[in-house]
Amino acid sequence: MIAAVERPPSEIDDLDTVVRLHWPRVFRFALASLRDLDAAGSVAQDCFLRAYRSRERFRGECSIEAWLMRIAVNLIRDYARNRRLQFWKRAQASAVDLNAVGQWVPDGGASPESGAMAREQLAAVWNAAGGLSERQRTVFLLRFVEDMDLLEIAAVTGMKEGTVKVHLFRALQAVRERMGRPE
Amino acid sequence: MSQHLSSREISQWMIDERTPQQEQHVRQCPECGAELARMEAALTLFRGSVRRWSDGQRRAEPPASGSILPARRGFWAQPLGWALVPATLLVLAAVPVYRNVQDRQRQAEAARADALLLEKVDAEVSRAVPRPMEPLVKLVSWDFSSTDGRDEKTRNEEIR
Repeated sequence: MIAAVERPPSEIDDLDTVVRLHWPRVFRFALASLRDLDAAGSVAQDCFLRAYRSRERFRGECSIEAWLMRIAVNLIRDYARNRRLQFWKRAQASAVDLNAVGQWVPDGGASPESGAMAREQLAAVWNAAGGLSERQRTVFLLRFVEDMDLLEIAAVTGMKEGTVKVHLFRALQAVRERMGRPE
Repeated sequence: MSQHLSSREISQWMIDERTPQQEQHVRQCPECGAELARMEAALTLFRGSVRRWSDGQRRAEPPASGSILPARRGFWAQPLGWALVPATLLVLAAVPVYRNVQDRQRQAEAARADALLLEKVDAEVSRAVPRPMEPLVKLVSWDFSSTDGRDEKTRNEEIR
């Protein structure tokens, strides 16, 4: 009788493995969204804690990664809403140094001119992403940093596919605007 | 399709919204091809920069699950446990005081009841006539002056 009620063992039960496999992605997404190391660490930690505590509700309808990302999206949204003022203050204080962005541009034997142009474009994307609305930023990061397709983004954010497209289109328009026309 | 892709169409292209005509145009148009390549290159750079930034952080390393789950601390390790100690002592100290006050109240009530009883007893003992004989007293009164308004002389005449 008891055996019939018991939940079959799930992947999430092995928290050590789940953390080891999925922490980098959850942390990266939180960091890209919040641009705050401490906040990203807290959100990632809270994400795994919540996932573990509500593991009874995980029925394997989606991948564990999609489930974790969904929790992370909600936590980031709540974090940004609850601490809007502090968030923006901290984001300004610990914002990404766009001069340092150049360090991340792979050299690849490019000419100084094309290297400078690449750094400029990269800075433009960073700035544009920072100015997006919360939803636009979320779908933009999920699509262009996390490489998710539209259906995956819809599943993770709880939006319809059409809504995801609209937010993504607007985000891209903002990025293009910031990038300017090629000379 | 002879016209170049508009800014909107390029953004739509980036989210895989494109028509066969547009695809054909891009294959033939170096300008549109270059613009799409520029956009894709910027987004690829952005992806790489975010990943490098994140990977370079100490916190990007997965922590042990033990540091994520709140530790099950013993009763005495919790602040609440220590807070309960003075509270318990306070309650223990207050119980005798409360009992003492209650005892005093009870004694005072008993003393008041005793006093009332004694008063009743006194009243009973000090009666001139026992209660059962009171109706007779009304019939035969020894105190003439107090039973009606007539004086002693008139009563004596009536007796004669």
